[in-house]
Amino acid sequence: MAEPLIVVTGVVKRYGMETVLDRVSLSVNAGQVMVVIGPSGSGKSTLLRCLARLEPIQRGRITIDGAVAAVGTEELSQSSDGLRASSLSHDVGMVFQSYNLFPHLSVLNNVTLAPRRVLGMAREEANTVAIELLKRVGLEDKLHVFPGRLSGGQQQRAAIARALAMKPRVMLFDEVTSALDPELVGEVLRTMRALAEQGMTMLVVTHEMGFARDVADEVIFMDKGSIVEHSSPDRIFDSPSEPRTRAFLERLLEREGGTRKHP
Amino acid sequence: MFSFASIVSYLPDYLRGVMLTVELGLASASLGVVLGLVLALTRRSRFRALSWPTYIYIEFFRNTPPLVQIVWLYYGLPLLFGFDLGAFGSAAVALGLNIAAFLAEIFRAGILGVDRTQWQAARVLGLGFIDTLRFVILPQAVRNVLPPIGTTLIYLIKDTALASAIGTPELLRVGQLVSNETFRPAEALTVVAIAYFVLTYPIALGFSAIERHLSVSRG
Repeated sequence: MAEPLIVVTGVVKRYGMETVLDRVSLSVNAGQVMVVIGPSGSGKSTLLRCLARLEPIQRGRITIDGAVAAVGTEELSQSSDGLRASSLSHDVGMVFQSYNLFPHLSVLNNVTLAPRRVLGMAREEANTVAIELLKRVGLEDKLHVFPGRLSGGQQQRAAIARALAMKPRVMLFDEVTSALDPELVGEVLRTMRALAEQGMTMLVVTHEMGFARDVADEVIFMDKGSIVEHSSPDRIFDSPSEPRTRAFLERLLEREGGTRKHP
Repeated sequence: MFSFASIVSYLPDYLRGVMLTVELGLASASLGVVLGLVLALTRRSRFRALSWPTYIYIEFFRNTPPLVQIVWLYYGLPLLFGFDLGAFGSAAVALGLNIAAFLAEIFRAGILGVDRTQWQAARVLGLGFIDTLRFVILPQAVRNVLPPIGTTLIYLIKDTALASAIGTPELLRVGQLVSNETFRPAEALTVVAIAYFVLTYPIALGFSAIERHLSVSRG
């Protein structure tokens, strides 16, 4: 078995005195989908943000495809081998809850900006790649539309295409359906499911338990900055071993009436 | 009785004054926009060695009269450094430095008005700081603050009249000379007023048009 694509070792993340991630370790193999669940404030979004290098970490280490992506700032000064986190961050694609498209750019230009500026692609080539990706997410008829004219679901699919244009090795999804109207959730989940089937390595923070059960290879339950349970989706949903996991899932089920179905 | 009869023959002089006013406006606006942008960035820098001097600069130039700044540059620089910018140069530089302080605060507000998440979205796509500013943040920031930028540029055009104090033969100075020669100050300055209006009103119209265009096309 090859080395996992993502290796997170003993990561500690603090905001001031508050510890948000407390010695978190995990690994994700290439092509795997890992779903992270947990109550709000459990640190799951922070974990993704650390992987995307949006947040420095205080301790521990994150490697992506064998290259060091982040090292704890408190350990950096002591390391004698001059270990430096790579500043390249486009091997990791991230999709946010609030889409975060560039509102002053058309959908096409949202997708082509980074390939042109960061990868140095010619405009024509970038357009070809972008149009191909926008077809994949079903937005080929919205190329020249500005984000403000799109529905939330369309915006989120455009954001997925924008991230994919950088040919990331890993895609991070941070509660990407939480801001959507219920009837728009399905189209985004379908896009993510297709991506998983094509073999993309994915880390998904979500409250969509149907999606987690169907698509995830592994599920992590986080609470108070730690990984409480780490298991297959069937085991974690049918017979969680930790009482905290069980309590969380029961609360979630109550809220949803336990009947929500997903495409 | 208003009588423009004696003024008419001075129209070529007025025209030359208008040209000089336009040149002065363009020179100081260019300096002001570029410097204002740099100051907006250094002002919000986390390095105090950058943000503090910027703060002092901005407050100094915002809180002293531009006329004093022009006169000081014109008479002071040669005395202190033996370096003479000339009347036009002193006025252009002083007005540019002055307007930069105001524009810096406007740009800063515009940049702050852009959601933090736009920086993050650019960052995860691998865009560097300069590219993020140029293609993501500034287009939105400028759009946020178009009205105050327009107002500031209109003020700038009118402030070029202060250059008359050091003898630059711009529009107001021409008006004063015509007034001295014809003994018709009211008429001479009415022409000046109309000429300033003709110069500044298109700026106002232009900025409104840009705003309208942006709000229509970008939904």
